[in-house]
Amino acid sequence: MEGVFDYAPAIALFPLVAFVVVLAFGTYLPKKGALPGIIATGGSLLLSLVMAAAVASGEAYHETLYEWAAGDATSATGVEGVSFTFGLLIDPLAALMLVIVSLVAFLVHVFSLGYMNAEGETGLPRYYAGLGLFTFSMLAFVVADNLLMAFIFFELVGLCSFLLIGFWFRTKSAPSAAKKAFLVTRFGDYFFLIGVVAIAATFGTVAFAGDDSFVTAAETAIDGGDQLFGFDAQTWVTITGLLVLGGVIGKSAQFPLHTWLPDAMEGPTTVSALIHAATMVAAGVYLVARMFGYYALSPTTLAIIAFVGGFTALFAATMGVVKDDIKQVLAYSTISQYGYMMLGLGVGGYVAGVFHLMNHAFFKALLFLGAGAVIVIMHHEQDMWKMGGLKDKAPVTYYTFLAGALALAGIIPFSGFWSKDEILYDALIVGLEEPVIMAAYAMGLLAVFFTGFYTFRMVFLTFHGEPRSEVAEDPHPVGWSIKAPLLVLGVLAVVAGIANLAPVAKLAGVDITFLEHWLDGEYGAIEGLTYTAYGELLAYETSYIGSEQVTVLVAAGLSLLLAFSGAGLAWLLYNKPEPVAHTERLGSAGKVIEDNYYQDEYQVWLAEGLTLPLARAADRFDQTVIDGIVDGTSTASLFGSDRIRRLQTGIVTNYAALIVTGVIVLLLVLGFLGGWF
Amino acid sequence: MTVAIEYYVLLSMGLFCIGLFGVLTRRNALMFLMSVELLLNAANINLIAFAFYHGNLTGQVFALFAMALAAAEVAVGLGIILVLYRNFRDVDVTVPTTMRW
Repeated sequence: MEGVFDYAPAIALFPLVAFVVVLAFGTYLPKKGALPGIIATGGSLLLSLVMAAAVASGEAYHETLYEWAAGDATSATGVEGVSFTFGLLIDPLAALMLVIVSLVAFLVHVFSLGYMNAEGETGLPRYYAGLGLFTFSMLAFVVADNLLMAFIFFELVGLCSFLLIGFWFRTKSAPSAAKKAFLVTRFGDYFFLIGVVAIAATFGTVAFAGDDSFVTAAETAIDGGDQLFGFDAQTWVTITGLLVLGGVIGKSAQFPLHTWLPDAMEGPTTVSALIHAATMVAAGVYLVARMFGYYALSPTTLAIIAFVGGFTALFAATMGVVKDDIKQVLAYSTISQYGYMMLGLGVGGYVAGVFHLMNHAFFKALLFLGAGAVIVIMHHEQDMWKMGGLKDKAPVTYYTFLAGALALAGIIPFSGFWSKDEILYDALIVGLEEPVIMAAYAMGLLAVFFTGFYTFRMVFLTFHGEPRSEVAEDPHPVGWSIKAPLLVLGVLAVVAGIANLAPVAKLAGVDITFLEHWLDGEYGAIEGLTYTAYGELLAYETSYIGSEQVTVLVAAGLSLLLAFSGAGLAWLLYNKPEPVAHTERLGSAGKVIEDNYYQDEYQVWLAEGLTLPLARAADRFDQTVIDGIVDGTSTASLFGSDRIRRLQTGIVTNYAALIVTGVIVLLLVLGFLGGWF
Repeated sequence: MTVAIEYYVLLSMGLFCIGLFGVLTRRNALMFLMSVELLLNAANINLIAFAFYHGNLTGQVFALFAMALAAAEVAVGLGIILVLYRNFRDVDVTVPTTMRW
């Protein structure tokens, strides 16, 4: 496998070429530019698989390709000069993510043939160009070997998200949703940018890996008890870590910056599947995993990540319970699932978090594409109350969707169960020592119930019962380009759990935790970026209920019980020929949940009630005080000059008189000072 | 017999005051020019008187220069007055005030 990494840049560049080609010639191409996208992402997928194979054969790749700026300022830790580069870092984590992203991107491109082309959308070159640019940015983000490069592509995926959410820009809601998504994530990215600057200024490097990475530098600074910018090193690492976390919270839609994601469903469903479920939203979580060594140095940050994650998991899951739009339910479930990943990473469960990231990418892309298929079947109807009875009419869609739903709900043995259970198990063993983590665990556990409930409410309302509208009785057929991606993802949603059957491994004592070995560098790895290396940095204590086996059983049993009871409640309430809404039974709580806990309202209030008056006051200060001083100076000099110029009469006698007077006065003054009198 | 220096100074001062008076009060440009000449000559008297008093010739040489300068100045001044008259049909110095602000 020697030398295959030389082709690594092509993974990201293929979609970029597709973007340029589609943008320039899309209108003239058959399928309006879908084919270059499919070929490019297919090529990326193949190369990603080759990279994964190369990593599996025991290699890894870390190479700086291009230095675009270098400074000679000395950092706070005494490193002279900082250089900003583009480089590639392909280790097990990146290789895994490359495969996930390029696979989902490829399938979404294929699906788009059925979802967009067959439906006769206009502006398709723009759509495929956006997808191409997005895939390029996302893949480049994944292989980024330094924080600044990651930031650049983090912003680019945000831009693509904006462009694609606003694809139907002639409607009123889509541009508004696009703006909201852009602004909310940008608010988080603002902190990320400050964090990047702070890290560069502190450690003189932004590299993720190697001896001169900021992670190593931070570890050295903490061990040496350095003072950085007036804080001790530990506190400063926490501060910068939290700043970077701002971008993560914005991008991965964690509380309180989650409000953009449900609105982002205004975009085409394929875009939701690719960007707002499987990949871009994962960028935040991936970033945490990428610089996990840095976060592992700061227990405070980790605890915050875990708590925010646990809270978001529960918070979003409750909102998903009352939504009627199939995509809205999926959007809230996405927020909730990313909460789980944050919880997993926050408790030090690096493998568990990445495992769930992978599984979620498959089953949530599946669910979104399934929802897209349902929307095609239903002639662009998204209200679940107008569906029903699609089970027999669209069996492929139904069974793949069901596989995704079972995985999402965490029902054994589908993939979601294994990863979610591992996260909860990791949270539990840490939580037994740390009360904050215990609270996060409790919220995550409770969210399992709601997940099971809303998932199966969605399934029953969409596919079971009697058709509740005319279109549901006479569904639109779907073609192979829709069914094939569903089948691929459906299979993955069922079997992806095999990658890391940790509970089975612990109970039966067999060595089948492949993903853990993968991320632990048993194949290829970069030194310091392995699960064991991270584990050594972590300060968490763990303990068990009884023995390890008992704890595994308790954790798995609890989450399964809750998942089944949630699903069972949904079955009781909604698996009827003519289901009725039960939302009003929730009373005033239901109202609060339907209004999304007034998150939008309070954020709008913050913007209009707090920021706007503040900005207005600043504007007034600028207009009156600052401008007043400037204008006052010029007015005074103008007025004064106007008076003084009247001295210039143009009559030469007056000038003579002035000169004489001046001389006399001068003489008198000199006389008085010189003591002549 | 020599005259004391004070008298020269007094003469010069008187001549200077006459010139100054003329500059400040006259409106006729020619009178103006004459007054300026008086001022210059007051200075010349001073120079020569002190040169004599100190016994060196520097002051006298300087007075010669001043006289040459005065001649040049009168030439220019008369030229200006001619132009003034041509433009304003008058030699009143208070009339041409257009070259101010």
